[in-house]
Amino acid sequence: MAKQLGFLVDASLCIGCSTCAMACKNQYHQEVGVVWRQLYPLSEELYPHRERAFYSLACNHCENPCCMEDCPVGAFSKRDDGIVVHDTDVCIGCGNCVRSCPFGAPRYNEQTRKAEKCSMCYQRIDEGLLPACVQSCPTGALQMIDLATYDDPDAVQYPPGFPVRPEINPSIRFKLPKQPKVVRRKI
Amino acid sequence: MNRQPNQRDANRVEQALACPLTRRRFLQGLLATGALAALPGGLLLAQNLLSEEGFGPTFFQGKDAYQTFRNACPRNCYDTCSIVSYVKDGVLQFIEGAPESTFTNGGLCVKGYAYPRRVYSPDRIKYPMRQVGRGSGNWERISWDEALNTIADKILEIKELDGSLLGMALTKYSGNFGITHYGVEGMMSSLGYTTRFVGTPCWPAGIDAQNYDMGNMWCNDPEDMVNSKYIIIWGANPAYCSVHSMKFITEAQRRGAKVVVIDPVFTQTAAKADEYWEVKTSGDGALAMGMARYLLDNNLVDRDWISNNSVGFAEYEAYIKENVTLEWAAEESGIPVEVFTAVAHEFATADPATIWIGYGMQRHVNGGNNVRAIDALVAMTGNVGKVGGGARYGHLYTWGFNYHAMVQSPPEGSVGFVGETGPMGEFASEAETTEASYSDRAVNINKIGQVILDTNDPPIRMLWAANKNVLSQDFDRNKIEKAFEKLEMVVVVDQFFTQTAELADIVLPTTTLFEDWTVNASYWHYWLSINEQAIQPMFEAKSDIEIASALSSVLNSKQPGSCTFPENIDPKEWMEKEFNAGIYELFGIDSWEDLKDGPRKALSGTTAWNDGAFSTPSTKYEFKSELAAEHGHFDVPKFLPGRDAYAPYRLLTPHDKYSIHSQFQNVDWMGDLNPEPYLYINPQLAKEKGLADYDTVRIFNQVGEMQIKVKLTKNVPADALLMYENWYGKKNDYNVNILVDDTSSDMGAYKTGSPGVALHDQFADIEKV
Repeated sequence: MAKQLGFLVDASLCIGCSTCAMACKNQYHQEVGVVWRQLYPLSEELYPHRERAFYSLACNHCENPCCMEDCPVGAFSKRDDGIVVHDTDVCIGCGNCVRSCPFGAPRYNEQTRKAEKCSMCYQRIDEGLLPACVQSCPTGALQMIDLATYDDPDAVQYPPGFPVRPEINPSIRFKLPKQPKVVRRKI
Repeated sequence: MNRQPNQRDANRVEQALACPLTRRRFLQGLLATGALAALPGGLLLAQNLLSEEGFGPTFFQGKDAYQTFRNACPRNCYDTCSIVSYVKDGVLQFIEGAPESTFTNGGLCVKGYAYPRRVYSPDRIKYPMRQVGRGSGNWERISWDEALNTIADKILEIKELDGSLLGMALTKYSGNFGITHYGVEGMMSSLGYTTRFVGTPCWPAGIDAQNYDMGNMWCNDPEDMVNSKYIIIWGANPAYCSVHSMKFITEAQRRGAKVVVIDPVFTQTAAKADEYWEVKTSGDGALAMGMARYLLDNNLVDRDWISNNSVGFAEYEAYIKENVTLEWAAEESGIPVEVFTAVAHEFATADPATIWIGYGMQRHVNGGNNVRAIDALVAMTGNVGKVGGGARYGHLYTWGFNYHAMVQSPPEGSVGFVGETGPMGEFASEAETTEASYSDRAVNINKIGQVILDTNDPPIRMLWAANKNVLSQDFDRNKIEKAFEKLEMVVVVDQFFTQTAELADIVLPTTTLFEDWTVNASYWHYWLSINEQAIQPMFEAKSDIEIASALSSVLNSKQPGSCTFPENIDPKEWMEKEFNAGIYELFGIDSWEDLKDGPRKALSGTTAWNDGAFSTPSTKYEFKSELAAEHGHFDVPKFLPGRDAYAPYRLLTPHDKYSIHSQFQNVDWMGDLNPEPYLYINPQLAKEKGLADYDTVRIFNQVGEMQIKVKLTKNVPADALLMYENWYGKKNDYNVNILVDDTSSDMGAYKTGSPGVALHDQFADIEKV
């Protein structure tokens, strides 16, 4: 398999601190109201304690990105390392990518009237650095992986609640959150 | 359902696939906003994308494109992160964690990464301003000259009227822990003898407890928790409040350690534990004593360590055996006997084992006493003084600076307060530097409203508030508001129009950490960071010591000799003046300039009490403390009941993950992640009250009331209400201290000058609106 960079989201280590989401804003200064990376709390059906387990999600840099397919002006490109890059200079703000992405990665910026999304900090990667979000994660819950070589039997691509889209093949793997033994008081 | 913006985005993920209707609705939304009718890209660029300060959308342009500076986060936080700042064309572009620190490991937190926006926030106070009619919002820009003249005239008027400056009071706490910021206290000293709000709302009961037990507050390096075989996190929530500590805890787990979290709330840290106990709030001491009883009954105490290193254990043992049963402890704490005895057994047989004692659990009328009971548990199992062990609370081992900015002399002939003691603080005591027969008038920082109302001869006429948002963070907001009416002048030094600034006569804009020089240490980890000036001060902002120096010039021009604060200062030189040989030796550096290459970690002191030489009067660990008894406390830790409920439900107002007290949540970037506050209640209570998610309730008690939306969660027990303390900015008047009174905790006066505050011993009721 060719090189395909992606994210590992280890929910067993994630503390939902949103550091990754803000590290992204720190790097790119998105307009107020626009976030490229976001913490999604798991519903209580998936994890019994409200807002205590999370998936940190941004663009999944899919193998067959539907954003790229649906863009009428070719604003998306896929690099040799698998990163899907969106070019705002080319973007006409039609919103096709915002509608077609099942993961909600492209965001509409009402100020520029264009779409924008996570670039996996390819400029940082090209300098041998980690993406800003991965660099920032205090627990190691968010990691960059190369799916050409990544092989962890504990990791899954489609955890419960995450859209199953094998035809576009999102470049993301998850580890599921754990639960402690809980001792409650009688009230 | 009332959704937050980010929930809407979140739901889009699942809805986009699952429900075609939602896609259509979203499409309609885009049409409504005009998005689909947009002109071709590249032709439109909104005007507000790049502010006049040159701060706008950007991307990483290669490390060589930036100038880098060393900074340090000065907030009141365990982590005190070392920062590398990237500046281009004089504009702070982005920041990262310093890679040298093994504690932060190149990262910051959600709050820290918001700094670039905080510096360039459109909401910053840009100029000195005067409010015509306090609370009116009728602000007018004035010059520094006019602001300082107005203030100086008032100071001289007070001195003339009262014959002293005791009518001028300072309230300052943890808004910026950079060492040169103690120049605010220095400014007050340079004016004469004044009234000082002393103590700390944060951690004083626990500080006193550890002082009685061990002679000081001193904890192991948090990085050494990887060596722990057993970790109890008791009333602390590092997943919110010390995110960088979590990796050492999870690494210990990976190596086989068990982690137990004891907390009234199922916190984020609890979710990462192996076992979580929903302890009855402030029942911690009883629980620790129950565990002690089990250890005594089963010969699981470390008799060798006790006989070599402690005094008074026989008395503590006798107290426990005569007064504590397992069943009683279970009743008082809510934790079943078989549960806490099993963990007590595991804790005593693991080596090393440690307890992280949080600050939340000591903010009670029995808080200090409870900390002593937990200290005793660690000590009787022989875990004090070991790598990977210890009763971890905090330390000031790395804070041995000169406090040059703070130590200033009063003008000749100053008249002050004739009393027993001058003001104190947990970081440094000014009392020992004051040799005159006069001193400042020390009053309780945790009762500011009551103190202003009660203090006379002379009354507090003028309040200087710096590094502190009194109206957000002090207790019984309604009382404080009333007390402010008694003040003749309120000066607030800040970066934002806080709830305190709203009640000021004059606000003075102050610099952020990136616009100033200072040096920072942590009360948790052992790293030392320099803070370089990375950008020019924004607008007309001045640092605390520059303000002091400018005020001194104005005062001395009006009345020569009326202020001793140096009139010409260089902030960088003043930073240098904080260093000394002791600091250099502790960190293995030859000069402060070595810190330009990155933060340094202390070479010693990282295993507290490792040599067994305690700082108590007996030089041993004191299960029995005569000093505690002298101060009116129990000699050995004994059961002290919690505060009686004054309303049906316990009200808890802990720290949020998005803020340090009233800092950060007001920044609009943070609003993108956490738009509004909620009251969190158990579904069982919601059912009783007929409430559903996002319903609005009135929450009320004898202190005050407010309205707020609820979220239902079993994270909060059915007999409690939880709201995170926070300030959402000038458009939102949310403030938990409308509901929190100023009742004191049991300890704190010994080391910090005032008792702490029992801010988690609060109660309230709710009703649907």
